[in-house]
Amino acid sequence: MEIVVTNESDIFIFSIRGRLDAVSVPQLEERLNQWFEQSGTKLVFDLDGLDYISSAGLRVFLTTAKKIKARNGKLCMARLRENVKDVFTISGFIALIPAFDTIGAAQDAIQ
Amino acid sequence: MLIKQMPARVESLHDLLTFVTDEAKKKGFSEDARHRIELVVEEALVNVFVHGYTQHQGQVEVRCLDSDDSSLTIEISDTGIPFNPLFLADPDLQPDLAKRKIGGMGVFLIRKMTDEVAYRREGDNNILTMTVLNR
Repeated sequence: MEIVVTNESDIFIFSIRGRLDAVSVPQLEERLNQWFEQSGTKLVFDLDGLDYISSAGLRVFLTTAKKIKARNGKLCMARLRENVKDVFTISGFIALIPAFDTIGAAQDAIQ
Repeated sequence: MLIKQMPARVESLHDLLTFVTDEAKKKGFSEDARHRIELVVEEALVNVFVHGYTQHQGQVEVRCLDSDDSSLTIEISDTGIPFNPLFLADPDLQPDLAKRKIGGMGVFLIRKMTDEVAYRREGDNNILTMTVLNR
């Protein structure tokens, strides 16, 4: 799994490529912990390159959502593939983190 | 019947998932069905890795049972502590972020994404059987 973090002004974009499963989740957790050490409050997960997610991945997303809420920030995600969207929908997580079809729409939502 | 046995730890996950998805591919399963199989097998295996063996390192066995190409039945068995994951209650699917509890999603996804799932205890073995239809 590859994680690329970029930012445009105060909005950070985590682009995740590959699979998010029990093996790769610690890597994402570590990268997010680093981000949370700073004072950022706006985060977009760009999931265009994410081809698989399991409950281990959902757990990280939920923890991230809670932490961002705790600092009065905003979190959303963009460009979910069908199978990834299915997992978010079935688990109800789609209601917890807003999802958009484009990065632009995600950025507009958390300006 | 195809069988693969490996140590019950997360380092074994990818090899075991490949074992199952290769079988699904051979049967001509749709991409959507293959995603479902991979997900439920991961969830079942991670339960074994996390809950199964408390004191020593044990093994987990994955079996692909013989059937026609319209379905794939997989058995996950381990010799860990007696544990029926289906006894776990579904998580509260609540929309309030602050109240939503972390955890409990694995078995929930298994229930939702398999067409049939059952647990039995045979001697020293926990056996979880899952069937996914090719659709």
